[in-house]
Amino acid sequence: MPQIFPKFYPQNLVTMAVDFIEQILLYIFGNQFVVDCIFKFMGIGAILGVISLAAMLFTYEERKVCAFMQKRIGPNRVGPYGLLQSMADTLKLMTKEDIIPLGCDRVVWALAPMLLFAPSALIYAFYTFDDGVVLADVNIGLFLLLAISSQAVLPFLMGGYASNSKYALIGGMRTVAQMISYEAPMAFSLLGVVMITGSMNIGDIVKMQGELPWFVFLQPIAFIIYIICATAETNRTPFDLVEDESEIVAGPFTEYSGMRWALFFMAEYANLLSVSIIATTLFLGGWQGPILPAPVWFWGKVLVMVFLFMWFRWTFPRTRVDQLLEFSWKVLLPLALVNLLLTGIGMYSVKEFFASF
Amino acid sequence: MKNYASSEKLAIIKEAFPDVEYDEAERQPAVFVSGDNLNNLLTFLRDNDGLMFGRLENVTSVDWKTHFEMVYSLFSWENYEAVTVKVKLDHDKPVVPSVTSVFPGVEFEEREVFDLMGIEFTNHPDLRRILLADDFEGHPLRKDYKQTMPPRVRHLVKGE
Amino acid sequence: MLKTETYTLNMGPQHPSTHGVLRVELELDGESIVKVKPIIGYLHRGIEKLMESRTYIQCVPYTDRLDYVSSMNNNFGFCHAVEELAQIEVPRRAEYIRVMMAELNRIASHLVFMGTLSIDLGASTGHLYAFRDREDVLDLFDLVCGARMTFHYIRIGGVIRDLPAGFIEKAKAFIDKLPERMAEYDELLTGNEIFVRRLKGRSVMTKEMVLSHNMTGPNVRASGIPFDIRRVDGYSIYPELEFKVITGREGDNWDRYRVRFEEILESAKIVRQCIEGLPEGPVMAKLPAVFKPPKGEIYSRTEGTRGELGFYIVSDGTPKPYRVHIRRPSFVNMQGLNDMCAGYYIGDSVAAFSTIDPLMGEVDC
Repeated sequence: MPQIFPKFYPQNLVTMAVDFIEQILLYIFGNQFVVDCIFKFMGIGAILGVISLAAMLFTYEERKVCAFMQKRIGPNRVGPYGLLQSMADTLKLMTKEDIIPLGCDRVVWALAPMLLFAPSALIYAFYTFDDGVVLADVNIGLFLLLAISSQAVLPFLMGGYASNSKYALIGGMRTVAQMISYEAPMAFSLLGVVMITGSMNIGDIVKMQGELPWFVFLQPIAFIIYIICATAETNRTPFDLVEDESEIVAGPFTEYSGMRWALFFMAEYANLLSVSIIATTLFLGGWQGPILPAPVWFWGKVLVMVFLFMWFRWTFPRTRVDQLLEFSWKVLLPLALVNLLLTGIGMYSVKEFFASF
Repeated sequence: MKNYASSEKLAIIKEAFPDVEYDEAERQPAVFVSGDNLNNLLTFLRDNDGLMFGRLENVTSVDWKTHFEMVYSLFSWENYEAVTVKVKLDHDKPVVPSVTSVFPGVEFEEREVFDLMGIEFTNHPDLRRILLADDFEGHPLRKDYKQTMPPRVRHLVKGE
Repeated sequence: MLKTETYTLNMGPQHPSTHGVLRVELELDGESIVKVKPIIGYLHRGIEKLMESRTYIQCVPYTDRLDYVSSMNNNFGFCHAVEELAQIEVPRRAEYIRVMMAELNRIASHLVFMGTLSIDLGASTGHLYAFRDREDVLDLFDLVCGARMTFHYIRIGGVIRDLPAGFIEKAKAFIDKLPERMAEYDELLTGNEIFVRRLKGRSVMTKEMVLSHNMTGPNVRASGIPFDIRRVDGYSIYPELEFKVITGREGDNWDRYRVRFEEILESAKIVRQCIEGLPEGPVMAKLPAVFKPPKGEIYSRTEGTRGELGFYIVSDGTPKPYRVHIRRPSFVNMQGLNDMCAGYYIGDSVAAFSTIDPLMGEVDC
């Protein structure tokens, strides 16, 4: 089909701009490797910027959403509509005293928040924000993503174990139990998508959703399982047993204060953004959508997903440990397996159907 | 509002336990019993078909300066009646058997009496101070209790 | 053979879910609880001792500080005991106002229970909704006595002053609004699968257990024993009012929640009847300038929000009581905590702390 209207998507503009900057840098340094390095570092900087911005924005959003649901006003003092509240919070956290608990395992204790933040930031390398806008375009993006994000279990346990506090230890143990049991159904739910696309490249998966309907329609069960597992993986209500404030105070974070605690906090919001991005790219068609430019679609969908998670958080009570684990192993995992079976049958019959013509 | 045990009921008690005493002239005569007989009397009050005082509502003690008095307020839901059982105790060394074997729900109240009034309960499952700190000295609800002032901080007091 | 060991975990006195300054020593085997030991006394102020050196009239404000969430009921209980001791006839209008206040305060107190229960289960939204409605009750109390806590409105012989203008309308508006609001909680909490599953079948207290621990109030009614002193004793004007004694069946956390939920509606009915039948007349009995009850003693009980609130008063004929003992329902109920928690998980223990509904001001006296 001949292209009547020239595609005026801003991603073309972005690519053009990137090309332009690349030419200038090449002219200055005269070495492709140096230019590539500079671009990678710029990308890393951009991702860290996105995460920090997301943490601040989501804190504000979370408080406003929560206030809205609880018939309160929420932050409204710092800046217009309280927009600078998270700024003020950050400043406060940075100036706070760094309390190191007595008898803790200092090295492990200090490493835990950093190690938790690292994988949550690392997986951003594989996210395709737009057509071709990806830091590391690898063929097994989805696989790496699952592999790296499951590393987040360990720092919780480290923090919990090293804090020399029973609350933290219980919290750490709970995290391991919870995250491992929800890792399995989550991976299985994503496998359904991989079966349809036949690719683990995230860009390809999104492009496939331009040809087929969005996978939320093709894989509704997988989508629901994914949302539930994602809530559990990000430790948010109703599955926030890790930092269950009414039982174990703050779980592994009990003994952390100031910036160390803020790192946990940032990792939590980075994870929240992460799972929303995965849901958007794998099930909601990524950056694709009519009329509006791609970034609007992408971030719009992501924000809707974030709102959904916040909605869960402020309406549901918390589950109990045994209920949590039972739900994962006895309900979600069999359901995910059934979903895989159905996907296989469906794909086979569709292929046969088209082959018969 | 609630009825007090009638004189017939008190007579039943007197018949079973000849050594109990009560003053019939009073409006609501309390039944005085000796500490040794206390558990037997309460078991009788609880299990007797005519009395059925199944609830021990309140356990407390009064310091009468010359002696202590344990006060047990019982209530019968079935007959809608109340009765008060009292035990007089020696002021120097107040000891009374615990009634937790008859009414297990008074464990905390007896501990409170032990804590604040300093009355010892024999055969109590877990007799420790309940409200005050473990190293607290004295029993505040006794009439002769004098509060020791907390130690003064020297540099804050002028001239010392 | 692997060997396991239990470990102890101290919850409180500063812990987000032990109400006030309750400290609980949990003996845990992994996540499940072996034994629970409540350690209390962090808020002990010696109210019983303080009362011995005050006149009867000066004693009443101390009762405000016992159970500071339902001060009106405590005022009522103490004044009722002193009136029984001195045999004072309270004017009918005062009795109506008292019962109205006590029931409004019961509503407020049960709303606090629902709020804290939902926040203990992690649903912080329910907490704020409950406190929104409690605010309306506090506004009503603000009208009658100018305080939002520690009211000291009910005095010996009646109430301190008559209802202010506009109170009846506002109280009526609140009572009319309440069923709607309760329907909202029903949707938010009762209709929530997680909420129901967290509470049902956990911390079961059978009839024998609650009786052996001498528990009273909603805790005992939830186990199916219709023991409500308002009905059993019929003090004040309660015999003339129509209300149901709500009972549960299983005695689990869910029943304890439902009993209080229904009691809010029953209390609202009582308030409505009081408003409709409110007689004219004085609100204060004539008391001598120096109030001296005759020599004697009394154990008088009323139904507080948390159970049987009893006052044992010994008078020696002077203006000051010789001895006051307060039977605090929360304190006695606390004995059941071990049975409510042992064998369940940490998550259940938090719900149990909440549904036993202790108030540390009352426990520690």
